[in-house]
Amino acid sequence: MRQLTAELAEVWRFRALFLQLVRRDLKVRYKNSKLGFVWSIAPPLMQVACITFAFKNATTFAAKFDSYSAYVLAAMIPWTYFQTAVLDSSQSILMMYGVIRKVYMPREIIPLATSVSNFIHFAMSWLVFFAYLVFYLRAPLLPTLVWFPVLVVAQFFLVTAASLVVSCLNVFYEDVKYIVTVLFNLGLFVLPIMYLPEQVLHSPTMRHLWGGWAARIYMWNPLAVLISGYRKCMLEPPHPSVLGGNAASPFDPGSVLGILGVSFVALVLSYAFFNARKWRFVERP
Amino acid sequence: MNGGVPEASIRLASLRKTFTLQHRHAGSLKAAMLSIFRPPRLERREVLRGIDLEILPGETVAIVGRNGSGKSTLLSLVARVYKPTSGEVTVNGTVAPLLELGAGFHPDLTGVENVELYGAILGLSRRQIQAQFDSIVRFAFDRPDLAEKIDTPLRNYSDGMKMRLGFSIAVHTYPAILLVDEVLAVGDEAFQHKCLEKIEEFQERGKTILFVSHDMMMVRRVAHRVVWLQDGLVLRDGPTVQVVDAYMAEPGPASAADANVG
Repeated sequence: MRQLTAELAEVWRFRALFLQLVRRDLKVRYKNSKLGFVWSIAPPLMQVACITFAFKNATTFAAKFDSYSAYVLAAMIPWTYFQTAVLDSSQSILMMYGVIRKVYMPREIIPLATSVSNFIHFAMSWLVFFAYLVFYLRAPLLPTLVWFPVLVVAQFFLVTAASLVVSCLNVFYEDVKYIVTVLFNLGLFVLPIMYLPEQVLHSPTMRHLWGGWAARIYMWNPLAVLISGYRKCMLEPPHPSVLGGNAASPFDPGSVLGILGVSFVALVLSYAFFNARKWRFVERP
Repeated sequence: MNGGVPEASIRLASLRKTFTLQHRHAGSLKAAMLSIFRPPRLERREVLRGIDLEILPGETVAIVGRNGSGKSTLLSLVARVYKPTSGEVTVNGTVAPLLELGAGFHPDLTGVENVELYGAILGLSRRQIQAQFDSIVRFAFDRPDLAEKIDTPLRNYSDGMKMRLGFSIAVHTYPAILLVDEVLAVGDEAFQHKCLEKIEEFQERGKTILFVSHDMMMVRRVAHRVVWLQDGLVLRDGPTVQVVDAYMAEPGPASAADANVG
């Protein structure tokens, strides 16, 4: 633990460089197009529009929502943050390889900067969501919204943890980036993004699979918990007909605190994992 | 200062560095998973085998030796890029390496933004960079038509311009200790001349310079003292003329081939 605080003190000493790296990431991201942020948020919005089109026409449940697209968007924003931050960080250390071979810096600031710059983008994306919610859907702001910042912080911990591990592994193994990309493609379908987790829990096959444990394990996925938490704290529950007559489970503050704890532990462990390997990044005779 | 003896700028005490060769960049996670039951044979290579060295403030020290003798490893340990296997590295004052010029630049950012980033990499605060900014640009681009380009993305720069900008930032950090690893071998003659001038300016300011070179002309010209490394040990350490003469006289590939590289 004392070693951990010493490492963090070293990061703090390099905060000027850290801020420059965050600035660089944001500038490069918004500079590649005239529209900047608008262009950057367009892909997930278009994805949500297409999913809404497909599901409203091809399934029966999607049309029973007051606003299916708000449910998808509330999941797509955190999912996009997770994906882009981890993918960006996988390349981050290799991009700075020529520098860290010659100049000392605490190497964790590199994936950390990627995680933070993506977090800023993530925060701005929520502004778009709330504008949509308040001005277009004219939905009420729920009191459970006070839990929203807790979810955001929990997700930041989780994303940073994943970024540290992936950026580190990618230095040693060249196929990490491809494996991660494949997993992300699967995640879009496996995670409750286009549907509700309750639909999985109540589905006739999942309900009895492995004596009900399959459904329980599904809900242990921290990303599923996060996505579900975001929706429940911001959006009114869907009509019971969506879930075949079952009422959706209410917002659960316990699960939010749980995911905060789990993410924090994951972050501490990932940091230790990273620190145990960071000196070997550039070492070669 | 203690008791009239000047405090060393760089002190290496029984410094050892051993590398463990294993899966590198070429490795894949898939292969690593498959080899879990058949661990790869690890090869250990001792590159530095106990170095004791003291460099005083204001000294310019050249490290010579044939390829694989541990020169660059030594420099990397002083720069804190590597962690010693055993022994100690003590450095008094700020250290700045002359980078392979332009490493750390981003092509999509403008010259101004790259100066800020690169300065931060070399340990300058934003205020220090802003204070030095005009001087950096003037040193890099002496023609006004080139200086105007500082607000355009770096991908519009020629390689020569990038190199000049990188060098200009590096020398404007004014560190107490400058590390130079073969950087001066690049660039045209005019640029090399400019680099040499800057190194001499550093010497006049009483800065410590530690550099690695195969170019004996260069070593003779700037070094006060030469350390000859062989197989990870200091073979000779003394005044430039003596050590360089001995090194050049060494038969075999050690001197003849290496001396031509620079």
